[in-house]
Amino acid sequence: MDDGHLLEIRDLTKHFGGVVAVNRCSLVLAPGKIYGLIGPNGSGKTTLFNCITGLERRDAGEVFFRGERIDGLKPHQVAHRGIGRTFQIIRVFPELTALENLLVVTREPFEVAYRRAQELLRFVTLDLLENEYAGNLSYGQQKLLEFIRVLMRDPELILLDEPAAGVNRTLLNELLAAITRLRDQGKTILIVEHDMKVVMGLCEKLFVLDYGEKIAEGPPGVIQADPRVIEAYFGR
Amino acid sequence: MGVTITPTMVGQVVISGLLAGALYSMVALGLALIYGVMRVINIAHGTLLMLGAYTTFWWFRLLGINPYLSLLVALPLMFFVGMLLQRTLVARVVDAPELSSLLLTFGISIALVNVAQLTFTSDVRSVEFLTGAFLVGPFAVSKSRLVAFAVAVAITAIAFWFLQKTKLGKAIRATSQSSEVAMVCGINVHRIHLYAFGIASALASAGGSLVAVMVAIQPEMGQVYTFKSFLVIVLGGAGNYPGALLGGMLLGLVEQLASLFLTTQLSEAVAYVLLVLVLLLRPTGLLGGRAT
Amino acid sequence: MRWAVLAALAIGLLLLALYPLVATGYGIRFMLQLFMWVALAQSWNLISGLTGYVSFGHVAFFGTGAYAGAILVTTHGWHWGPASLAGGVAAVILALIIGYPCLRLKGPYFAIAMLGLNEVMRVLVSYFEGLTGGGSGLSLPTLHASGQIYYAMGAAALAVTGAAHLLITSRVGLRFMTIREDEIAAEAMGINTERYKLYAFLLSAFVPGVVGGFFARDQGYIEPISVFPLLTTITMIVMVLFGGKGTIWGPVLGAVTLFVFQELVWARFLYLHQIFFGAIIVFVVLLMPRGILGVLQERYRLPRTI
Repeated sequence: MDDGHLLEIRDLTKHFGGVVAVNRCSLVLAPGKIYGLIGPNGSGKTTLFNCITGLERRDAGEVFFRGERIDGLKPHQVAHRGIGRTFQIIRVFPELTALENLLVVTREPFEVAYRRAQELLRFVTLDLLENEYAGNLSYGQQKLLEFIRVLMRDPELILLDEPAAGVNRTLLNELLAAITRLRDQGKTILIVEHDMKVVMGLCEKLFVLDYGEKIAEGPPGVIQADPRVIEAYFGR
Repeated sequence: MGVTITPTMVGQVVISGLLAGALYSMVALGLALIYGVMRVINIAHGTLLMLGAYTTFWWFRLLGINPYLSLLVALPLMFFVGMLLQRTLVARVVDAPELSSLLLTFGISIALVNVAQLTFTSDVRSVEFLTGAFLVGPFAVSKSRLVAFAVAVAITAIAFWFLQKTKLGKAIRATSQSSEVAMVCGINVHRIHLYAFGIASALASAGGSLVAVMVAIQPEMGQVYTFKSFLVIVLGGAGNYPGALLGGMLLGLVEQLASLFLTTQLSEAVAYVLLVLVLLLRPTGLLGGRAT
Repeated sequence: MRWAVLAALAIGLLLLALYPLVATGYGIRFMLQLFMWVALAQSWNLISGLTGYVSFGHVAFFGTGAYAGAILVTTHGWHWGPASLAGGVAAVILALIIGYPCLRLKGPYFAIAMLGLNEVMRVLVSYFEGLTGGGSGLSLPTLHASGQIYYAMGAAALAVTGAAHLLITSRVGLRFMTIREDEIAAEAMGINTERYKLYAFLLSAFVPGVVGGFFARDQGYIEPISVFPLLTTITMIVMVLFGGKGTIWGPVLGAVTLFVFQELVWARFLYLHQIFFGAIIVFVVLLMPRGILGVLQERYRLPRTI
């Protein structure tokens, strides 16, 4: 690992037609921390995720994971390198059962995968629903399923896209506890989130995007008071 | 190939290509409307064209008057047929995965083609009306193709004027951009879907009425036009209405050029190879549009 | 419970195997065609039912196999058995040529690309007239082999249904299905969707090719319109949609039901019968998207893997 960086993004740029979605964005993630990526709507956060994971092809800039360049790789190759992500709109496999949703993403032998899947299901108390079609689960249950599905591959870096959206308080606390536990196990997490309470309480460092540019980074307390950030959110 | 290509031949080919292209553009615009507004892939598009062709045939057979006048009847008729199809069937798959609309319109197409087989029989029909060609310098311009070109251009121009200048047209364009935003702006999106499909149906059938004078009419004639319309959309970019115009012209030119070098049979396959190539190399179309 | 099902299956297969000993010529031909449709429908299911990539040109593989097999029999004196297997290989090669570029496209674009395939095949057959006999078709040396072809078709139907069973109950099959469910999520979860799509496509082309070879031998004469008819693709699609796409027994159910109907009722009214097919597709898409089996699965809480 170069300089102890897990993920390094240099001058990443992505435009769609005439619109610049991400503009020369650079950031660095050290391992074993929880990071937040915040910014007003349309500031390019999900696009950044998509560029990291290979879903979109970046127009300029580089992405390094564990010292290796990964921009330009296909999404499944990025996943194999050890990066997992969830989506803003839930993307479970509706006609597969909850258990199958978990089994299908790993190539480990069946017994190993099965045990792991059951552990994870128990972890989020979905174990009784393992044979239920994912499409029949409630919103919150699907959200949890998508979360543990990412964990099935045991990724080093986990990108969560709005994990708190549409989730009730109890479930949210469970999720946050799970995320903290993951960090304690040495994983690195980058969260895109709009819920400021979640962000301030959970993240150790924040990156703020506005119009695709990184306008600030630092611990939550500092960011809260940063005039540029305040202006980005309220000053327009 | 022992044939030398003269400039005259190339010129002839360009003219024929442009004449054919306008027709393709008009028909493809309909397909683009349906996809742009509803994200529905209308495999039955060529079938609508076929119905237009038969309308013209029967008009001419039963009334004996100028078949081009049948457009006055065919256009409103097919507009309503389109709206009917949309209201009863297509509306139900607008929000479903694209696969559903594909299969649905496929099913509709099969049913309609065979209804035509049953009612019109599979005898090949034709409309003998405007035969022969004008001679413009060294070039021969088929009369019926010229009329088809002129009418297609006129109809397409009206369609564009409609889309750009009228309230309904603007609403259609807004819905193509984003139906959520359109709804928020108070546009009745379901109504828009209805009209869009009706207009598209009219455009397709206009194509049918025009080709009725030029080609053999039989129930399965629409298939190739469906395919070519898709090709035009892919060339011009999905959801890109002006792109459909360019794509149509391009297809017309390429086809005619290909017929210079290949047998007529093979030049049919050219459209297919072109489609695959464009899809692979520039899936967003030559002018850029929305990738699905 | 499971043993009862297996026993029933075994008995059924035994009866089918013994059938030619007691059947009339018509009966054998009937069943032979039924097996062929089961094989075709199940093959279509492997690509379109499992991965959701709708193959509108699938009959191209049937026709390719028919021509390849027929050419090997007439020009090179092969026995129709190996010739048909070679036909299957030819179909797979075609699938590779078409599939490699076209499967990179997202679902709807792929479907459109497949739409034109049929026409292209017919054009190619006419173009290579020397080899294929063009529009005048190809005649095979006379041979009465209905009995053997019965078993051949039956074996094909069994093989592809067996393949469907293996896939649908395994993780490989699950991976195929994720392509249908949510291709983007599947990619993000580490599944190489491009490769799996190709595998499914190649697999789905083999049996139609082989069966095409059997068909050519059985008919004794083929021409472009007889082996590349759109109606064959339509029939495959209707059978699978009606029975239940993505299941093991759905295509079998659909093939049996619709073929029996077709033979007994509709065969005399060609166009009515196709209107019916079109109507069934519309009906299934709107009201019964998972087919008959899907309805039963929901009603009786049956497992996904039937």
